Amino acid sequence: MAFANARTCTEKTLSRGRKEEDGGGHGTESDLESTTSSHNSSDCSDDLEPEWLDDIQKNGELFYLELSEGEEEAALAQAAANQGVSTNHVRFSEEEAEVITEENKKLTKGEPTLKRLARILRRKRRPSQRRGGGGGGKDGKDNPASSPPASILKNQPGQRSGVTVQELKEVCVYLNPKRLGGSSTTLTHSGGLLEALLGVVHRTSWSRGDTAVVGHEERLTVHGLIPNSPAIKCGQILIGDVLVAVDDVDVTSENIERVLSCIPGPTQVRLALETVAQWDGSGAGDSSLQRKTKASSPPVSQLVRLLWGEDTAELQMSIEHVPHAVMYLSLKLDSASPQEEEEILYQYPVSEASGQLKGVRGIFLTLCDMLENVTGGRILSSSLLLGKQLVHVGYWKESNNLLVIGLPAERVPLLYLQTVVGDVVRTLKVMYGSLDNAFCKVDHAPRLDHFFCLFFQQLIQPSRLRDGSSAPTPDVSGTLFLDGLPAVRWLTLPPEIKMEVDTVLSDFESSDFGEMSEDFFGLRRLYVILGSCLFYKSYLIANHLPKEDLLDVCLYCQHYCLLPLASEQRVGQLVIWREVFPRQRANGGGGGTAPGYSQPRGRHFLLIVGLRHFMQCVLLEAGGCSSAASGSPGPDCIYVDQVKATLLQLEVLEAGIEDRLNAPPAPCLSCADWFLPAATARDRLDSLASSSPVFSKLAGAVKGSSSGSRGRSLFGEKARRSSPQRSLSDSGSEGQMDAGSGSGLSMAPGLSPHSTPDSGRKLGGRRDSLGSGGSDGSGGSGGLFKNPRMKHPNPFYLGTLKKTLTERETEEMYNTMKLTSGAENTLFHYVLMETVQGIFIAPTQREVAQLSGSIHPQLIRNFHHCCLSIRAAFQQSLPARGRRAVDRPQGGGWGLGPVKEHGVLFQCKPENWTDQRKPAPTMTYWVIGRMLLEPVPQEFYVCFHDSVAEVPVEMAFRLSFGLAL
Amino acid sequence: MFGAGQGAVLSSCETEGGGKVVWRVFQDSVMLIAVSGGGQGGTGSSKLEEVRLRRLLENVWSCMVLVLGQDELTDVKNVERLKRDLRSCFALIDQLLEERQEGILGNLTHCADSLLPPNPTLLQEALDGFSQAAESEFGCLVVHGRVAAATEKWWRLAPQEVVLLSALMRSLSASGSASCDYPVFLPKGSPTVAHRLLRFQLLPGADVCVLCGPTPSLHRAESGLVGRFWTPLVETLRGCLAIGERCLPGSVSLRPDVLAVLLINRDARRSVSFVRTAADPQPSDPPLPSKARCWELLKLFYIFSTTRYFTQEETLSVSPEERAQRGHSEDFALGFPHQPLQCYLVTEECKSFGLQTPQHQLFLLTPLSVPTFALRALATQTLSDIVAATGF
Repeated sequence: MAFANARTCTEKTLSRGRKEEDGGGHGTESDLESTTSSHNSSDCSDDLEPEWLDDIQKNGELFYLELSEGEEEAALAQAAANQGVSTNHVRFSEEEAEVITEENKKLTKGEPTLKRLARILRRKRRPSQRRGGGGGGKDGKDNPASSPPASILKNQPGQRSGVTVQELKEVCVYLNPKRLGGSSTTLTHSGGLLEALLGVVHRTSWSRGDTAVVGHEERLTVHGLIPNSPAIKCGQILIGDVLVAVDDVDVTSENIERVLSCIPGPTQVRLALETVAQWDGSGAGDSSLQRKTKASSPPVSQLVRLLWGEDTAELQMSIEHVPHAVMYLSLKLDSASPQEEEEILYQYPVSEASGQLKGVRGIFLTLCDMLENVTGGRILSSSLLLGKQLVHVGYWKESNNLLVIGLPAERVPLLYLQTVVGDVVRTLKVMYGSLDNAFCKVDHAPRLDHFFCLFFQQLIQPSRLRDGSSAPTPDVSGTLFLDGLPAVRWLTLPPEIKMEVDTVLSDFESSDFGEMSEDFFGLRRLYVILGSCLFYKSYLIANHLPKEDLLDVCLYCQHYCLLPLASEQRVGQLVIWREVFPRQRANGGGGGTAPGYSQPRGRHFLLIVGLRHFMQCVLLEAGGCSSAASGSPGPDCIYVDQVKATLLQLEVLEAGIEDRLNAPPAPCLSCADWFLPAATARDRLDSLASSSPVFSKLAGAVKGSSSGSRGRSLFGEKARRSSPQRSLSDSGSEGQMDAGSGSGLSMAPGLSPHSTPDSGRKLGGRRDSLGSGGSDGSGGSGGLFKNPRMKHPNPFYLGTLKKTLTERETEEMYNTMKLTSGAENTLFHYVLMETVQGIFIAPTQREVAQLSGSIHPQLIRNFHHCCLSIRAAFQQSLPARGRRAVDRPQGGGWGLGPVKEHGVLFQCKPENWTDQRKPAPTMTYWVIGRMLLEPVPQEFYVCFHDSVAEVPVEMAFRLSFGLAL
Repeated sequence: MFGAGQGAVLSSCETEGGGKVVWRVFQDSVMLIAVSGGGQGGTGSSKLEEVRLRRLLENVWSCMVLVLGQDELTDVKNVERLKRDLRSCFALIDQLLEERQEGILGNLTHCADSLLPPNPTLLQEALDGFSQAAESEFGCLVVHGRVAAATEKWWRLAPQEVVLLSALMRSLSASGSASCDYPVFLPKGSPTVAHRLLRFQLLPGADVCVLCGPTPSLHRAESGLVGRFWTPLVETLRGCLAIGERCLPGSVSLRPDVLAVLLINRDARRSVSFVRTAADPQPSDPPLPSKARCWELLKLFYIFSTTRYFTQEETLSVSPEERAQRGHSEDFALGFPHQPLQCYLVTEECKSFGLQTPQHQLFLLTPLSVPTFALRALATQTLSDIVAATGF
């Protein structure tokens, strides 16, 4: 229990806009060695230190997150809005102080004394047990180390009552020393960092010629503010104020430069200022104001704050009433031992609701023990009522220990509990190798706290995490379903962009870093790059990893919310480094070795680098054919730089990818609201036109194409009447026909944005994209469909070619765009999962957002909820995977036998139907899931209007043609 | 169980291989635990089995009340004596456990298994007269273990009681006696006061029963009333028996590609079910599932649909706490923002289709040869055919 107590007093350190991770739990002594080695290799790289270097943990791990400029401004705005919000960051390593001192040797600009000051700045926030260990008296004059430790969670102005009481105000500003850039030469004269960094002009008394004031120490009165500086932007620092403290460190003219220079990276600092007159007597009002502003949603999303390690207490508090807990219990009980609760190896959170679950842990232990004897199988789950809340408890037994995860039934249906638990276990195994490794080391506890804090926050209040961002809050079922798929969301790209991305990645993976590589120096390689995958705004756009490795990496990213992070916020820089234990490689990938002993097959490291919306995950192997890693090496600058270079190289493609994201949905989607009879055709057209100009063009094109695909005149001047079941008014259909025929004439520009990626891919295929890309005008279908993509300037170009098209080819082209049969496009939503590659495609969030409407979001929520059920049916009917060792002979499965296809028909009504005379119009639609085992295992979920009898398998095949990797 | 002191009530557990354990405490006195081994099941067949086990617990408790009365069970003075007394309901419980008779779904659906006779009015009149003469408002005619006709009051009994009384009738008639006089407590209606259940065998497979007070005596009723009311109807009864397990009069024609049907009238809480007997076993590929397998599939599909999509009547009427106590099988269905109307399932053996209207629930199985898109039309047509022909 000792560690649990230690955890409750969260350790906080001076914020630097980032958070480190440790873990892994390997040797600890070699940090110095590895960092120096990496430093050696980076000597040639201009002696510029990466910003993240200070954040490397003792065990070599790194989690560095820095927001981009735009986000920093937002943070600044937030700081201005609620001046009291502190940015305390959890630092998990107890040994941080030592790390700093070790780093002293290689830090060029940091003098040892300043480093020590920085250390104290950090230590000051920690009510740590190690207080007596370091510190030292000689810093005493700089730093009131003897003052009581500052309160972490509350920043009342009154806290510093020793200085002034009423007239003290706190201001949070966002500082980024890296912005200083080349201006460092000007630093030395006059204002120094105070001016350059903060933007506060202070005239020392001697410079004013006022020699009467004796002594070096002088109060820092604000004499002026520099335009565009953080100080003036926050709007609360006034001329005449006196700066008394920076992050609770008293400052004077004597030490201010040193204090500011200790700010290592972009961060938010809290300034204490003594102010005059207008702040008189407003102390109380001030703090209440603080609290009020704190409640409003901050621009920096909770997610980032959580990742930085801030605010876990507050977030945790808000879900305290929801019963949830995770416990790692030992099944081997030493009954003679007098200690209480010794069977609890780990527990989170320490709250009332989880306390109740903790209280009944005997049940879990007993059930685990007993039921195995009774039913002959290990326990998987149980349900119990806590008060009035139903809680599902999932179990995972490993050796002699039992992992128990309790979740509220309203969040996680029992159907999906297994998947959730399985994913957590897999993530932990990837990160730590085994559950025992993860839970049984005391120093992992704070890390696990953070891990499970993220886990529960995502499950229980996902909306809260996103509240700072503009993205629509995800529905719980959707998150559960999509995250639970053993696949990663894939974005199909136009072939030539795809090819370039692949080429760039392959270049990187060849480890041919020129003069930067170890080969150049005749050294053995540090790491072999096993593969990498690239995400753009949470979509996977390229993957060179084997499926299982991809899933491991993706689980990690999902857990730490890296994917949504990259999509919603521009990440200035993200560097993650840690040792991982990929499932496939960790257990018996090599084979043939004795179980007890295996030859050093090498260790694996995961390097994730994010720049703006790109994020690349690289899996590295040490050992094997590269030099074996010893101890716990930190990230190697060369590799990080190379990944960064790769990402920078890829940035030129960003426009192309954005085009793809902005393109209208490749298989056309309809909005559910259009199908309610109440909505007139005019409304539909309006909504179409209003959503985006491209889209309205698309709608026209679709009309045209659907008529074409009926086999009538190809670019028919007479569009076919839309199907009768929609009861459109005549004028409405006329309008549509006009649009259809209109775009029929100008088909080329109308089609080009959206038709090319998929149709081109489908017909041309991926392999020949290189060869046939240039052979335009050949008349072959591959060449033809690439033409618009190449932005041929001549609008009549396609028109001349169309004569060579056979009817069939055109139909194929249209079919790839429109999955459903019939004149109308009735497709609402789809998810296609490719099991072999471990990817799935679904309409992008932007595509969904374009189809705004009141019913549609509801429909998608319903779709996802239904998919949970459908997928559960598929899973249950599948032979038990090798999840656990004991497989039972699969006789009859779950009774109903293997399920191939499952569909549900839903009915929806508009909400708030006020018309009393008429019954509310209804719309019915199918949600159908289909599992294909041939030719490649796929799962396909689709949601479409009831009007046409569809054969989902056809749709699945059509869609899967668009999914060539 | 052991969590009660901590404010936690354990309700169910699931183990690998489909093993399930379900707990429930009744009236703060008796705890029933149902365990199903994971013998043939695969991983995660939980939902289906759990509902079944829950129903089983409920039914077993009702059985015990039916036979012994609630008082006997709640204030237990002598445990040994209670154990001995409980032996009298073992036969009934065994019947619930074994589900020996094919085609009886009432235990699961809590809807009375019914048989729709070709000429219902004749039987209804005879039954009404017979009940009246026996000084009772509760009378019921059971053919092939299914309710062929019942008085209005009989239908007003709790659905669970109707189902249980049918089960009791089946077990009594299985004993082979021509008539009997059996004291019963109604689990919902009168759990503490016993009534007399008089049962008479009219023909092998056809029984009539009345629930009555102290009078008339079994002998008087048997000698005086049975012959008077039922002798003229022997031919009608034979006609009833002749439709056998099809449960539907011959006037209802069903499409040949319907393997099995379960139709529930949601208001009346009655159900009709049948499995087509393979008249001409033509070599089809893949082979059609056997009759027993069809019944099993029908049950499984019913459980599947009702736990996930279609809400059952009773779940809407009970309080949330009680619902939670009964199990959490319903909360998934409540999670849909839109209302599910129909669902289908394609498995390796057959295709299943379920649909729900305000009045009815229909579940049917078809061979794999039926195209999926035709299922819906097939189901709606079947429903309208049966309803039109019988007014069910």
